[in-house]
Amino acid sequence: MAILDIEGLDLRYRTDRGPAEALSEVSLRVERGEAIGIVGESGCGKSTLLKAVMGVMPPNAAITAGAIRFEGRDLVAAGPEAWRRIRWKGVAMIAQSALNALNPVKRVDAQIAEAITTHESRTRAEVEARTRELLALVGVDPGRARDYPHQFSGGMRQRVLIAMALALRPPLLLADEPTTALDVIVQDQIFRRIGALRGELGFAMVLVTHDLALVIENCDRIAVMYGGLVVEEGPVAAIATASCHPYTLGLYNALSRLGQRRQPVSIPGRPPDPLAPPAGCRFAPRCPFAIERCHRERPVMQALSARHAARCLRAAEMNDLRPAAALPETWEGPQP
Amino acid sequence: MTAYVLRRLAYMAITLFAMITLMFFMFRLLPGDPTATVISPALDEGAREAMRRRFGLDQPLLTQYLAYLRNLTVLDFGLSFRTSAPAWEMIELRLVNTLLLILPSMIAAYAIGAFGGALIAWHRGGKAEASVVLFATAMQSAPLFWLSMLAILVFSILLGWFPTGHIVTPGRFPGPSWRMYLTADFLHHLALPFLVNTLYQLCFPLLLMRSTMLSTIGEDYVELARMKGLTERRVLYGHAMRNSLLPLATTLPMILGWAVAGSVVIETVFSWPGLGLLMIEAISGSDYPVVQGAFLLIAVLTILGTFVADLLYGLLDPRITYR
Ligand SMILES: Nc1ncnc2c1ncn2[C@@H]1O[C@H](COP(=O)(O)OP(=O)(O)OP(=O)(O)O)[C@@H](O)[C@H]1O
Ligand SMILES: [Mg+2]
Repeated sequence: MAILDIEGLDLRYRTDRGPAEALSEVSLRVERGEAIGIVGESGCGKSTLLKAVMGVMPPNAAITAGAIRFEGRDLVAAGPEAWRRIRWKGVAMIAQSALNALNPVKRVDAQIAEAITTHESRTRAEVEARTRELLALVGVDPGRARDYPHQFSGGMRQRVLIAMALALRPPLLLADEPTTALDVIVQDQIFRRIGALRGELGFAMVLVTHDLALVIENCDRIAVMYGGLVVEEGPVAAIATASCHPYTLGLYNALSRLGQRRQPVSIPGRPPDPLAPPAGCRFAPRCPFAIERCHRERPVMQALSARHAARCLRAAEMNDLRPAAALPETWEGPQP
Repeated sequence: MTAYVLRRLAYMAITLFAMITLMFFMFRLLPGDPTATVISPALDEGAREAMRRRFGLDQPLLTQYLAYLRNLTVLDFGLSFRTSAPAWEMIELRLVNTLLLILPSMIAAYAIGAFGGALIAWHRGGKAEASVVLFATAMQSAPLFWLSMLAILVFSILLGWFPTGHIVTPGRFPGPSWRMYLTADFLHHLALPFLVNTLYQLCFPLLLMRSTMLSTIGEDYVELARMKGLTERRVLYGHAMRNSLLPLATTLPMILGWAVAGSVVIETVFSWPGLGLLMIEAISGSDYPVVQGAFLLIAVLTILGTFVADLLYGLLDPRITYR
């Protein structure tokens, strides 16, 4: 059984200008021990999706359809108290703005301990030992457990959050851009640490990032999101070599790869307005391969192989279009 | 930390000394002859002169000042011009009455205000929030004396639930006696001024707490606390409210000022024989020894309160370091 199975999830934000569709028909399966990377432009709904899985949406958000099954049990239907018990014990999360995620007036060890004692009855000594062990695990000197967050550097705080996320050995870890605020060296250290811990503890991971390279290095599968939709999903290798969605191809172009002479090519235009998404394919207004049908018809997820699917009307033709997508000229075409 | 406390204590001593000095000269620079109330101008010149000498008023100002300082060290403010009792004794008696009314009232106001503000922010967006905010804003902008009189009119005169004033039914305790405080009669008299002051004073902490909470609720650490699976109660009390208390704590010194101002108004309207009323009586009767004593006491309390607030703030917020 999949550890996490999201099916047909719709989520809306109430805003002053009307409902904003932040997630539509999002389906995603995460198997035990698997790592999935979620990529997509800013505002496409990545954080919204992870928070929805945690069940900590802001008060103006509402799940209007779909299921979030954790180990087979639908949390949306199970209600807030059941969901609360799953949080951290079953699925933990490293939030996006990790630098402000620690409470400034509480000691670091107390904040880790709190996560443990909420879910498990342990003696004080056990909790203390566990806290120190966790800090050592992520490479923070356990002697500093009684410090306050402001006494830690950004990288250390990040490690504390990872330690905290692993406190109950959850089978699933959600990581929302866990290293964006850090320099490349620290980022590298942290990912190596996460990789090692995953090898040791075997938890599944959903990694949200803007950085395709990180996904390629750390994940088994990729889900590409655009305007609140998952537009393509598949194994990292399949997506890298045989992507079947123009947006994914564009993202790859935008990524500057080492050892490559070519300048990165960005996708022109702006992401869709969640208050008034385009009627047809949401990417059509920016898509160099859009045909008239694309502006009318909403594409559905099309299976291309057992584990690879794309939400594009022309997915089947993509083998022929792919070479053109690699050319910068294609993306400079006459677009709105 | 120790160095900080010592330095703060030194500053406090300097502030206090400045206050004392200022008070001495201020009263002597006031228009009108303060001695006129005791040394009646109707007396003949010789008798007046004799009295002046007895009070030391014939000495140069500096000598008078030094004598004043010397007396202060033993809490001797001199004798009341009106009753001839030692001024400090009068103040002491009245202080107890004020503390019994104002202290519990301010504590209740801040406790209710902090919790109330936190709760309405937590359950934001409802009708309840809007009405509480409206009510508190209206209360806060109404003058306290007017509220007090309104309360007397409605609850004492129209409904007859509470006495209109005084600390106990007049005549029940002719002399000062601590047993007075143990009677139901005392509580009955205490109730209305207590309620009015509490209701009035809780508006500020309530509104401040609410607006602080509204921004705290959106903080990442509150979201993390929730993600950790803490119960909503623990997220509210352990994180959101705990952190929102910081701005409220910074207002403690201001609160002391309001407590004093509030006590003067409340005691005057409710004829509550406390320090505030004593001050009003003493000022209108030109009873300078009593006025000076009361002023000094309030100054000391305020300076001490500010100091305590500073230390308290450091306890609440570890990011504050004392240097
Ligand atoms: N509390 C909210 N109220 C209204 N709209 C919101 C709220 N939070 C997010 N949104 C909107 O929902 C959409 C998705 O936001 P989300 O934060 O999930 O994006 P993201 O993919 O995580 O972006 P980023 O990469 O910048 O973190 C955006 O259009 C955003 O403006
Ligand atoms: Mg995000």
